[in-house]
Amino acid sequence: MSYTAEAFQNEYLALGASEVNAIVTVTSSGGEGGRRTGGATEIIIVDASGSMQAEGRIGAARQAAKAAVECIDDGVHFAIIAGVSTAQQLFPEPGRLAVASPQTRAAAAVAIDRLQANGGTAMGAWLLLAAQLFAQRPGDIKHAILLTDGDNGERYGYLDSVLDQIKEQFICDCRGVGANWKVAELRKIADRMLGTVDIVAKPMELTASFQQMITAAMGKTSADVQLKVWTPVNASVRFVKQVEPQVADLTGKRVEDGPRAGRYPLGSWGQESRDYHICVDVPAGGSGDEMLAARVHIMEGDTEHARALVRAVWTDDTALSTRINRQVAHYTGQAELADAIQAGLAAREAGDDRTATIKFGRAAQLAHASGNKATEELLAKVVEIEDPVTGTVRLRRKVAAEDEMALDTRSTKTVRVGRGQ
Amino acid sequence: MTLTTDCASCEDELASGATYCEVCGRRLAEPPVPEAAAGPAAPARKDCARCGAAGSVGDDGYCEECGMMAGRSRDHLEADGGPAGAAVSDRGRRHHRNEDAMWLAVGEDAADVVVCDGVSASFDPDAASDIAVRAAGELLAGARHPDVPFVTDGTDETVDLDSLERPAGAVGLAGAVAHAITGAAAAVASLAHTGDPRRAAANPACTIVAAAVRGPHVGYGWVGDSRVYWLGPQGPAEQLTEDDSWATHVIALGADPVSAMNDPKAHAITAWLGADAGPVRPRVRSFTATEPGHLLLCSDGLWNYLVDPAELGNLVRECLTAANSLLGAARAMVAYANAAGGADNITVAVIPVRPAATVPEPETIDLDTTNA
Repeated sequence: MSYTAEAFQNEYLALGASEVNAIVTVTSSGGEGGRRTGGATEIIIVDASGSMQAEGRIGAARQAAKAAVECIDDGVHFAIIAGVSTAQQLFPEPGRLAVASPQTRAAAAVAIDRLQANGGTAMGAWLLLAAQLFAQRPGDIKHAILLTDGDNGERYGYLDSVLDQIKEQFICDCRGVGANWKVAELRKIADRMLGTVDIVAKPMELTASFQQMITAAMGKTSADVQLKVWTPVNASVRFVKQVEPQVADLTGKRVEDGPRAGRYPLGSWGQESRDYHICVDVPAGGSGDEMLAARVHIMEGDTEHARALVRAVWTDDTALSTRINRQVAHYTGQAELADAIQAGLAAREAGDDRTATIKFGRAAQLAHASGNKATEELLAKVVEIEDPVTGTVRLRRKVAAEDEMALDTRSTKTVRVGRGQ
Repeated sequence: MTLTTDCASCEDELASGATYCEVCGRRLAEPPVPEAAAGPAAPARKDCARCGAAGSVGDDGYCEECGMMAGRSRDHLEADGGPAGAAVSDRGRRHHRNEDAMWLAVGEDAADVVVCDGVSASFDPDAASDIAVRAAGELLAGARHPDVPFVTDGTDETVDLDSLERPAGAVGLAGAVAHAITGAAAAVASLAHTGDPRRAAANPACTIVAAAVRGPHVGYGWVGDSRVYWLGPQGPAEQLTEDDSWATHVIALGADPVSAMNDPKAHAITAWLGADAGPVRPRVRSFTATEPGHLLLCSDGLWNYLVDPAELGNLVRECLTAANSLLGAARAMVAYANAAGGADNITVAVIPVRPAATVPEPETIDLDTTNA
């Protein structure tokens, strides 16, 4: 598996400036021939609460789970958890993991047909059982899918305590079907478990969604990749954010690693490329000084795969220091776009239409200017965009809950900036 | 005069008559690549000059404590060709790196010298100047020089670039310089599509000035605003090049020289080497020295502080007198520019040129015997 890391920045700072920004693009070639060399474990958690009976959701969930099982490669360990008021292992026998083969996949399909919707929603308990099963396979690439259609019914604070306990132990992609679940709840899980969150508005779309997630998970060839950031004395990391394919703030996930360095978890990797925005505060230098503001390493355990240097050069030449780096500007805009949408949705919910209009207006402007068409279209279902250039929008009186949730979950999705300065 | 200076890179002696270090083709400025340290002991890390931390400078040249760049090899370079020439290139006081580059190769009554100045507004200008001096220097070293150089009377030569593809035996000194500059232009242009993708948008670019000296004969050429001066035994320095710059252009059109030079655009160059430069037509000239003197090649880091040719002439002669070597003189000129502010990178090369009458050395001729 070979990685490259490349830093894009305007290293020239005006005299007195102390904030250094860079976009680091990390690209992995994937394993040899795109194949995993180590093991992998996949766990599918399907909400089987009573509400899943509505709109034929449980039937669609059964079909989706079976389709997902079909996508699991031979030799991969897997299990299926039925989520009710407690966590019940649907397949194989409790406490065990199956090894994928034509026989076990067929047996899993039979077990999935027994899935009935009656019970409560206890996401903390479901995730805890998944973590216990994953613990049998140290070193594996670990991925889970969590499907739900409603609010968590556990006592307040329990899910948080579970997440504190199991954070980053496996990747969990969360999907909500229908419109009666809480985006904030699933986002919290996805954020702590380095996964994604999305809405599946119609039950019939579940199969495609599950297939896509499993296929992506099967393409991963490294389990636990980390970004190590070294900074000099008297410097501090202001933030580390993944900015492509979606915005995810990693700043709070830092684990110290020796003097002046810390590691940020990047999750599992296949053949792919992601962009990170790193912002470092440094003591300002004098004219002509050059400082290494950050050394960024792509790590897997003790193995360094790649490194990139983030530099700061102070100059009194304003022609140099005022140059805008396209990558940094683009992703700063994409992060602001996500923030504007979140703030707009929050204001709208609080009944503050004035703030909501301003925030959505700014979002429409940013989405349009950066060519983020997908977000612009989602936004257009929540507001009428009169002029995307000036950011003139009007709130729609009637907004479908699914449209609002789709905008919420997908607001962090970014588009990649064109290469070159 | 036979040089006994060894090539610093490969330690092969520059043999009498062989003009260049033919073995490794390296310019004298380059320190030899140190042999891998014998045994497991890693070379000791340097102390940081900025924060004082002991042994803290890492492999990538930055201090592991304070992060400051501990110095680059190009910050200060010297090339000592003994009595045949010397060159010094320095980062100056204000720029964070040295984007100038130089080449000096010397032999018996012969010298090839190239000075390039990276265009700061381009991306990786230091790479442009570096590749340009190497390409031009190697082409000058590889050219076969005629016994009697083609000499012009100061007017620009028109060079048929097609005939330069294969340097023939009779390409004059000026032609060899033109060929070298054209080759350097191609090398710099090729950088736009390698390395950092930002090079494609702001392609690496630099100026060039090159000279080839063979006995009393001098060929030189340039693109941009790096200069060649001729310093005779007395009087002001004579600028042999005409800057490809906005100021020179408008002065030629009749603008007031003082206000033109003070204009913010004065230093904007109108010709350079780089992918966006279009076809490069180097201006080349040649002459034969009739009195002893020195060729001075320099980047604008020096001449900016010495716009008056009389002042420049005095300084160079003072430096030559005070120092007991050409290298010492070149160092003193760099020190002068640094003392004056060092606002830009500074590169200076000094090459002595003797008229034909003094080659070979006149004292070997016994006039009495001849008359008898």
